[in-house]
Amino acid sequence: MERRLVIPGEEVAEGKVKLGDGVYRDGDKIYASILGLLDTARGVVRVIPLTGRYFPKVGDFVIGTIKGTVYETAWEVDINCPYSAILNASDYYREVDPFRTPLRRIMSPGTTIYAYVREVTLNRRIYITMRQRGSRVIKGGRLVEISPAKVPRVIGRKRSMISMIVKETGCKMLVGQNGLVWIRAKPEIADLVERAVKKIEAEAHTSGLTDRIKEMIVKEREKYEGR
Amino acid sequence: MKVGEPEEFIIDGKRLDGRRVDELRPLKIEAGVLKRADGSAYLEWGGNRVLAACYGPREIHPRHEANPQRAVLRTYYSMAPFSVYERKRPGPDRRSMEISKVTRQALESVVFTHLYPMTAIDVYIEILQAQAGTRCAGITAASVALADAGIPMKDLVPACAAGKVGGQIVLDLFDIEDNYGEADLPVAIVPRTGEVSLLQMDGNLTQEEFEEAFKLAVKGCMQVYEKQKEALRKRYGGSKE
Repeated sequence: MERRLVIPGEEVAEGKVKLGDGVYRDGDKIYASILGLLDTARGVVRVIPLTGRYFPKVGDFVIGTIKGTVYETAWEVDINCPYSAILNASDYYREVDPFRTPLRRIMSPGTTIYAYVREVTLNRRIYITMRQRGSRVIKGGRLVEISPAKVPRVIGRKRSMISMIVKETGCKMLVGQNGLVWIRAKPEIADLVERAVKKIEAEAHTSGLTDRIKEMIVKEREKYEGR
Repeated sequence: MKVGEPEEFIIDGKRLDGRRVDELRPLKIEAGVLKRADGSAYLEWGGNRVLAACYGPREIHPRHEANPQRAVLRTYYSMAPFSVYERKRPGPDRRSMEISKVTRQALESVVFTHLYPMTAIDVYIEILQAQAGTRCAGITAASVALADAGIPMKDLVPACAAGKVGGQIVLDLFDIEDNYGEADLPVAIVPRTGEVSLLQMDGNLTQEEFEEAFKLAVKGCMQVYEKQKEALRKRYGGSKE
């Protein structure tokens, strides 16, 4: 489907419609508030952002770094967004008693985690949890930063892109909605995956991307294996 | 070289730089020129060269400046030491602080700050080369940088000046006209609604002249607006799914 590029202030709809993100109403007309692609599917008018920072949504998986502890019973986590997230001791994946074992001894500042956004309060307090299936502490590997607007492309429809990369390279890979990608593999393979991710980011707007990335990985993998 | 006061500003309907009275200087805007900033824009407007960068919304420092209701928009206008004929002493001064403030107010009216409480949106405007009308150039570039950073806003904010030289109302003054002219009237508007978000005046105009100059400046703004949209389309134009 062809989606139109809209610029803040551009009229996108009129009358009674449901408003999604990136639009605002003034009188009877609807205007875009952000730069992006206009999407009017399913009776909702919204603008898909092409740039911009990450804002947490409940249900997102994010990659974060422990910054420190607050109130002795919670960790403060940097999740690459304007607000730092809170990980309560009770949201750690197993039972811990913060009054017996200081939290920084369980996860010290600098620890990287893959966590789930549990709650975003009205005053923008972000609660994340590691009780969700899939959450974990990340060890080793490398982190690659990409634009959060391009993350859906790296994941692919029904995770097609990730599955393909993991299948073709045998690497371990996690993608946070906040624009951080974690890769663990042999250095040559990790380099290759990193390049692939950067290529996806650069070419996010084109179609047939999964096939092109696959082609690139297969070709470069042969080069490496041939040596 | 700096030029002294000319005897006449308009000869045979042409201005000193060859423009008609209602003609803008050549304007070129490019969006997304900086890699590190969240959004950026580079602008060439006659002899003006302006770089604008936008960061945010991001955590605010110092923390006590945070507003629990909305994001704080901070603008920093600064002129490079080499931007003018006589070296400009670097750093903030009375003039650049004033321009930072009017720029902030011009942009604040369009940015949806209430969406991001407790954060800061920082806009840096660097004047690399000046040839009069830098506050308008700065606002124009800054609003493109904001849009490039994906910040929600009501509309872009184009700005343009009009003024009076040699008894004639003209659009978009350049340095000689600005230095020796009779009046300068920078205007920024919100094109969709026609709201005025910046209006300053230097010099003297009668009420009729003011209205004429204001109308001319708004017309100039609309031309600038088209260039802003063009710049953003060019940056993201290839994008489709």
